[in-house]
Amino acid sequence: MSKILEISGLTKNYHDAPDSEDILKNLNLTVNEGDFLCILGPSGCGKTTLIRCIAGFEEYEGMIKVDGKKVEKPGIDRIMVFQDFNQLFPWKTVRKNIQYPLKINGITDKAELDRIAREHLELVGLSEYGDFYPHQLSGGMKQRVAIAKGLALNPKIILMDEPFASLDAMTRNKLQEELWRIKEKENATVIFITHNIQEALVLGTRILLLSKQGKIKIDMENNVAKPVTPASEGYGEMWKKFNDALWEEDEEN
Amino acid sequence: MKEARTQIIFVVCFLVVWQIVYQMQAFNELVFPSLKDIGQSFIDGFREDSLMTYTMYSMSLILKGLAIGIILAFIFSSIAVVSKTFQAIYHLIVSVCDLLPGVALLPLAIVWFGIGEITTIFIVVHSIIWPMSRSIMDGYNSVSKIYIEGGRNIGLRGFNLVKGVYLPAAFTHVLSGMRVGWARAWRALISIEMIFGTTGAGAGIGWFIFMKRTNVDIAGVFAALIVIMIIGIIIEYGLFHTIERNTVKKWGMAR
Repeated sequence: MSKILEISGLTKNYHDAPDSEDILKNLNLTVNEGDFLCILGPSGCGKTTLIRCIAGFEEYEGMIKVDGKKVEKPGIDRIMVFQDFNQLFPWKTVRKNIQYPLKINGITDKAELDRIAREHLELVGLSEYGDFYPHQLSGGMKQRVAIAKGLALNPKIILMDEPFASLDAMTRNKLQEELWRIKEKENATVIFITHNIQEALVLGTRILLLSKQGKIKIDMENNVAKPVTPASEGYGEMWKKFNDALWEEDEEN
Repeated sequence: MKEARTQIIFVVCFLVVWQIVYQMQAFNELVFPSLKDIGQSFIDGFREDSLMTYTMYSMSLILKGLAIGIILAFIFSSIAVVSKTFQAIYHLIVSVCDLLPGVALLPLAIVWFGIGEITTIFIVVHSIIWPMSRSIMDGYNSVSKIYIEGGRNIGLRGFNLVKGVYLPAAFTHVLSGMRVGWARAWRALISIEMIFGTTGAGAGIGWFIFMKRTNVDIAGVFAALIVIMIIGIIIEYGLFHTIERNTVKKWGMAR
């Protein structure tokens, strides 16, 4: 499997106070094509900062390479899906939200745009909602559109920063299932941040647990067979392992 | 429609009270004319005093001024997003210039451009551009970070980011800026017309009001004021509400 993301010696300090500490310190990480990497960790461990650095929103020290190319600014090879439901442009319909990024990146053929929008809306089960404005959709639907929009750009990596954290439990479970199905179908590479061990186990093919300053405490393959439920073999063991580690983190702070 | 009904009832009540006050003869008829006299002056104004010509002339000046003012405000405010240096300078300019009443600049403008259309338009532009810029920049500054990052993520930079994200995201502010600009433009225009009179290329509503006052035709003054009010209502409900309904309201960004 080819390496899609290589991070070496990544250090990030916001320098927003004279004695500000490094948020990330000398972090090294490689992600293979087709990985679904879930990153767990307590608040303030630098998960979000890490994903923002990969997205190109932050300046950093060290090296981040995507497909061999250094990350210097945001780009459509790394699409970010945020936790905030309001990430879609409210002034564009659902379909236009999906098509607009394609348009400004050189796809201008109307038929082609329509085909891509139709396929991706179908993929997330929102075929009927192309002409709706985002404010007419529920939170879960907005997140589905955000995922469809990201996939339509066919990025090398999809970066997801707790995209399901604000959803109710039922919707969240459903979206997890869908996301896994989509990932399998498109063979996408996903980096997914979460607070939720269950979510990491259900979605991840590989799970990372970060502690303070982005230190990698656990890095392991998730061998629980998909689809994962709490009844799956090995689920309990894995869950306990991560839960204990998180508690340990909590006590240290 | 309920809103419109309330408003119509209010206007009718206002007119009834007006007429009652007139009937009581609490004020001299000369300064407090009856509805009938005002109505008559309104009709005569259009029939005999070429009020239509004055109105069209004023409208043409205000539209020219608005177009120039709005475009300049957009250009400068947008450059201020892209360049921090320009933003610092432009912010200072807006703060200073917004305070200067257009009429105070009039003597200068007359020296520079003479008495005529250019001077009027200059003052109208002056009265629009600063409050518009302020609203647009306030709007740009309050654009949610997530839209900006979403825009950068899909490859928008510089002016494309302004056009694709900042402008639509700040549209409620832009609209309120346009309303303020439009109102300020009228004030500036009427003051200048009253000062200039017919010495320039043509005469507008301001001149009409001035003339009627000189002749102590107060009903005529009211007739001109009504013309301005009607234009205001057409622009507010015909133009601004339509824009709102098709943009920020449709987008769920305003109630």
